Amino acid sequence: MQPESKATASAYRSLIGQNGDRLTALRQQMQFLNTMGKRFVAAIDRFQVHHALLATLQELYRFSACTILLKGDPAELAFELSIIPSYPLSEPFLQAMIERIARAADAIDFPRVTAEELALMAYLDAPDELALPGTPAPTGVTAIGDFLNIPLTVENRIIGMLSLFDEQEGAFDADLLQLTTMIADYAAVALENVRLRERQMALWSSAEFERQRLSLILGSMAEGLLITNEKGAITSLNGSAQHLLAHTQIQLEETFTPLRQLAASNNVPWLADLATIVDQALAGDIVMNRELIAGAEGEVVPLTLSISAAPLYESSQTQTRLLGVVAVLNDITSHKQIEKLKDEFVSIVSHELRTPLTAIKGYTQHLMRRIERRLRGASQALPANAIADLPESYDLRSLNIVQSQTDHLERLVNDLLDLSRVQWGELHLQYSSFYLADVLAECVRQAQISAEEHTIYLDIASQDSKIVADKLRVGQIVGNILDNAIKFSPQGKQVTVKLQEQGNEYQVSVNDEGIGVSPEFFDHIFERFYRVRNATSRQYSGIGMGLYVAKAIVEAHGGRIWLSSHQGTGSTFYFTLPRVPRTSTLPAP
Amino acid sequence: MLMSPGFGQSSSAYQEKVTEAYLQAIRTIDDRVTPFLGKATTRVLIQGAARRVSETYPFLHFLEKMPYTEVVPSVVREQLGGVIPQQLAAGLDALLQECFAGLKELTGDLIVPPLHEEVRRQLEQMP
Repeated sequence: MQPESKATASAYRSLIGQNGDRLTALRQQMQFLNTMGKRFVAAIDRFQVHHALLATLQELYRFSACTILLKGDPAELAFELSIIPSYPLSEPFLQAMIERIARAADAIDFPRVTAEELALMAYLDAPDELALPGTPAPTGVTAIGDFLNIPLTVENRIIGMLSLFDEQEGAFDADLLQLTTMIADYAAVALENVRLRERQMALWSSAEFERQRLSLILGSMAEGLLITNEKGAITSLNGSAQHLLAHTQIQLEETFTPLRQLAASNNVPWLADLATIVDQALAGDIVMNRELIAGAEGEVVPLTLSISAAPLYESSQTQTRLLGVVAVLNDITSHKQIEKLKDEFVSIVSHELRTPLTAIKGYTQHLMRRIERRLRGASQALPANAIADLPESYDLRSLNIVQSQTDHLERLVNDLLDLSRVQWGELHLQYSSFYLADVLAECVRQAQISAEEHTIYLDIASQDSKIVADKLRVGQIVGNILDNAIKFSPQGKQVTVKLQEQGNEYQVSVNDEGIGVSPEFFDHIFERFYRVRNATSRQYSGIGMGLYVAKAIVEAHGGRIWLSSHQGTGSTFYFTLPRVPRTSTLPAP
Repeated sequence: MLMSPGFGQSSSAYQEKVTEAYLQAIRTIDDRVTPFLGKATTRVLIQGAARRVSETYPFLHFLEKMPYTEVVPSVVREQLGGVIPQQLAAGLDALLQECFAGLKELTGDLIVPPLHEEVRRQLEQMP
């Protein structure tokens, strides 16, 4: 460029010079900000933030100490005060600093805290490498010459306060105040990051601790635990579950193959049942104590599992997203072994009881017939009222009771024998056509003989009562329910047996005026050997078998059984039987 | 501190004028301090000052939670309606002095003396 005049050249040089100075100043500022930014970004704990802060501030000022007051948990009104001296400070100076900090904290509306309280919270962080080189420790300096308190803000939220102190007056400059606030902002963000990182670490540690604890608990559980994903593929098995399912020789875990698919591609029969349980839980149902025979066929008592499964939701409160299924597997094989032994024992004892019972029944009938013959002979010679007073008449009544009780005992023995048949699926029905009303009438007649103090009514509210069923077994159902009704009704009370038609089935109800059953026992009353245990029922004998066998027979016919009851006012047991057996209930040809 | 209502001036008009004058003073403090210490600090300085003076002047209690920028004539009427004008002026003056005291606790004499002078002049010029 060719300047035309000296004045123009001078003005141009001056402009270049001014811009150059500005450029240099700007470069220095950027360099300062860059260095400061790097220091704070690299700080990963609060001590490193303190170091970064002290190093940055020392480039602007010479000061005796810098402090950082951080607000802690608002609920605890706690503070953290870090004092970072540039060199050793006298105690009165420190005390004066803390008093100033307390006053400044009050000015910016921090929760009230006294200087004494702050002194107790104070932590002295004195990094040697940042001690001012060659600065002698000021001895005897007790008063603060100058100070600066800058709130530490993060997103318009004050999290603490940075304070600078020096023993000399005029140590801090209004021109540098804006830059100091900027440094405080950097420090605030770095401290907030440290706090968040500490919190994250604490949460992570706590979550990891919980994870390990849970893993230990699940690993040491005697019960097997199986977890699937939302598609029904097993994602996790604890040690016990692995042990229980080991004999399948199938890779179950982490195959990401749904159980239903695994079941289809393997010939393990119980896998399909397990898949059904898991599918039910995936559909939102809770499956409780479903028995699953997982052992090999032909074993006397195969490995039997009791499985409970429930859907696993992302949030248990809102039940939003289904994550999978959690299932608990219990090995109940030993229970089954005990049950088997018990059933065998019951079966043997029942058989042994049956032989003398048959003899008692036979001889009783023989005696009854002989007495009846004698009485018939006497009736030709004596008036009717004299016949009733004959000893033979008393004997006949006694023998009738013996006969009825023997029938009752026989039913008990038959129930015991039926128990093992039901238990092992060997309850076979002998279908024939008969009138249900006749069976009910006979049952009522039999029951009335041994229950002289009760009145048993029969109410046939049905035009027709023809049915195809197992006649003996139907009699057994009614007999068992009637026994129960009589047993739990006080003497003199009434028992009503009622027959009704309901579409393609008959409904029989047995109503008593006895002690009743509490609703909490409804689910269990048809379980085998189950007896309601309370103060009222304790006086009644029985083995808790009749209703179990009755239910098994009703269900084998394709019917239903239930009860309605109010404690203290009596119970009504209902059962239904189809007029003709449903196809599914018929035995295979 | 502003004087009592003059001749021909109603009490409520004077109340609004006094409040506006002091709010203007606080606005000046805000304008001058925010570049140095940030908006959050200015806000808590005023709220902290309100907390300290509201023991003596309970009618200023509402400023502890409400930013002064939200104090509009309807709020003045609602919150300060029954306050005697002299009492109101005294309370607002105390609030202003507490703001300066708080600022002094933070930055010593770096900002306060010139700002104090500016605000004093500003209040004097108010009609």
